[in-house]
Amino acid sequence: MRPHTSVRAIRSIQRCIRQPAQTQRPTLSQSLRLPYTATRAFTTTPTRPHNPSRSPDSTVDPTEVSHFNALASSWWDPHGSSRLLHLMNPLRHDFIASCRFNDPMTPSQKLKYLDIGCGGGIFAESAARLPDTHSVTAIDPTPGVLKIAEGHKRRDPLLMEPGRLTYLNTSIEDLPLPTRPEEAYDIVTLFEVLEHVNAPGPFISNLLPHVKPGGWLVMSTIARTWTSWLVTNVMAEDVLGIVPKGTHEWGKYVNEDELRGYFAKEPGWDGASARSLGVMYVPGLGWKEVKGGEDWGNYFFAVKRLE
Amino acid sequence: MPPRLLFRAPRASHSRSPVVVRVRLDRRFASSSANAPEVYDVVCVGGGPAGLSLLAGLKASPVTRGLKVALIEGQNIQKNRLSKDASLDSFSNRCSSLTPASVRNLQEIGAWSRVNAARVQPYQEMQVWDGVTDARISFDWDTARPLLSPRNPAQPTTIAYMIENTNTVTMLLSRLEELGGVDMFTSTKVSSIELGTDTEQMDFTSWPILTLSNGKTLAARLLVGADGANSPVRTFADIESRGFDYNRFGVVASLSIEGQGWGGPDHKIAYQRFLPSGPLALLPLPGNKSTLVWSTTPERAARLKALSPEDFVAMVNAGFRLSPTDLEYLHTLESGQAEEVAWREKHTPVNERAIPMRITDVESGTVAGFPLRMRHADTYTGERVALVGDAAHTIHPLAGQGLNQGQGDAAALVRTISHAVRTGQDIGSTLALESYNSERYAENNAMLGVCDKLHRLYSVESGPVVGLRSLGLRAVDAMGPLKNFFMSRAAGGS
Repeated sequence: MRPHTSVRAIRSIQRCIRQPAQTQRPTLSQSLRLPYTATRAFTTTPTRPHNPSRSPDSTVDPTEVSHFNALASSWWDPHGSSRLLHLMNPLRHDFIASCRFNDPMTPSQKLKYLDIGCGGGIFAESAARLPDTHSVTAIDPTPGVLKIAEGHKRRDPLLMEPGRLTYLNTSIEDLPLPTRPEEAYDIVTLFEVLEHVNAPGPFISNLLPHVKPGGWLVMSTIARTWTSWLVTNVMAEDVLGIVPKGTHEWGKYVNEDELRGYFAKEPGWDGASARSLGVMYVPGLGWKEVKGGEDWGNYFFAVKRLE
Repeated sequence: MPPRLLFRAPRASHSRSPVVVRVRLDRRFASSSANAPEVYDVVCVGGGPAGLSLLAGLKASPVTRGLKVALIEGQNIQKNRLSKDASLDSFSNRCSSLTPASVRNLQEIGAWSRVNAARVQPYQEMQVWDGVTDARISFDWDTARPLLSPRNPAQPTTIAYMIENTNTVTMLLSRLEELGGVDMFTSTKVSSIELGTDTEQMDFTSWPILTLSNGKTLAARLLVGADGANSPVRTFADIESRGFDYNRFGVVASLSIEGQGWGGPDHKIAYQRFLPSGPLALLPLPGNKSTLVWSTTPERAARLKALSPEDFVAMVNAGFRLSPTDLEYLHTLESGQAEEVAWREKHTPVNERAIPMRITDVESGTVAGFPLRMRHADTYTGERVALVGDAAHTIHPLAGQGLNQGQGDAAALVRTISHAVRTGQDIGSTLALESYNSERYAENNAMLGVCDKLHRLYSVESGPVVGLRSLGLRAVDAMGPLKNFFMSRAAGGS
């Protein structure tokens, strides 16, 4: 049955995806803020089978299940629109490892992660597979993408181990605060989310209590510079039209020095531990570290909570 | 753009797929599918040098040691093991030339220290010449050094190591036993490979499920096809393997020669003469032993195999000494080559020092032939599938690269899996496997192409090509740095 319904299912997914992107739900913005070179992948996405005889307006798909599976395969399609995020994912782990390099860690100690704006679960799944991970809690306010994430999780028996990976359909504001600081998370991640938040200051202050003392807040976003404006707003949206117009609000981008300044003044946080890493997608080579790139393009940022 | 592999929907596979692997699931197993298959991270089908090297590499690295892995091998590999005190008077006819790069990898995974070293023969020089024009090129690290630079005593002098395949397999098995942690299913065949199903608990629709001849079922996060040129894993994954038959056979034999070789026991020489029907190679083994690879037409191969030991030995000696015209005549004889060759050699002056020492004997039962093919799979990876060794490529043996390519594949796949494990990727996902395909495909393709071209170049008997190729050989021979480049490539980089 599935092959017959997948085309329709994909269309409905595309509608699902488009909708939240326009309303700027944090998770769905992912590919949209990659530099222009990166978004070339968009042009190759409509390679999936397309059956014009089937009207998208005909009864939407028969079962939730087929939705769900097709949805997952689209999100996790290695040649689909999320390809650049998939390719970027190993760098996130490298960056986290470099942050924790000097942290004392006993071999038996396992880490608890909180991934905010987890989307289809690209980072959350990978973190949950690491041998030194205790558990991953991944949250996203969008029910549609969490279904994708849950569906894909079922493809890996390791991730189905009880307690290893938990998805919650919630916003950070609604996530219960830890009763004691030690019960918070060792690593709180916020990948490709910040630039789509209306008020970054209050948003960040909401997630700070979830970081355990001695733990790390790790994020990635894009700098607010004329280059990023040119790439994401002018080229991607106006000139090429590969990103829905109005997806990016350049004014919302947050610069590295602004984050540094924020944490330098934030009590309980080790402003001196703040570190960043600029990255850029080079076609044919993949994501590369770029010295000083944090000042003008995509960058990682991390800061440690004082013990 | 790498071709994408789409698995057939499992239910549709009976009706639509022309593919042969699937022996349909026995009803017994199908009904017992409630018993979930045992889940493995890596299931390797095929316990040859490439598959064993992969498993040893995975178990030797702290990053990948924790993976749950299984080996499935149809033969009883324990029975075929080389015994420690095997006599040096007898050698298997299945030998390979291991490059320094392959040996380095075997050292890194801790296997090389377990080799039966007395049965390994490093060689320091190669003599290659054109059977039609006698243009010659010799390779050794000494003449290949950069112009005017003094010989560096620290530089290794070994071009490659001759080793019996059974020695390679035995050392890898010993290493695997020492490392432990591999579920070995030997003398066990794969009855079927099918994609899993979506149960309420788990979605196994992207997972290959193997049913074994002992009734066990395994689910593979990553299924590795190290299962040879007719790879059932490759067929399962619907990966096309393209190529052609050379219409040539490789005749192999274990030979004795009259001495240790012109360079003595510490400077062994490999010889290869390009004849119009294919190259004739004699490669040194310990003592006065050598191994033969004679690529020739199927008819001539059949005749060579049928000859008496005396006539066979005479033919091989003639192959290095007489003209292609003489050889053509000799190949037509049913028997009596020994006398015919003795007479003709008197009239064919040769520089004995430039060709291998005279062959005196052939070990009985070692003359065998196999068809030569060129095959290359369209891709080495699919969802939850990776191919290594002959399952991915079959090469002309003239440069002795087949086994080395498999070792290179294994090492590269270990690196790819290791990176995926370190960054939390699903090691069976096509994304995680991409780097393996891109790293190995181009390199193997280049080597396949070069060997194929060489074969074609030397198949020509007359005309301008013959003159040009001789000129080419002589020119390369005269240029140290260029030779150094070729030798480095042959030695596996660095």
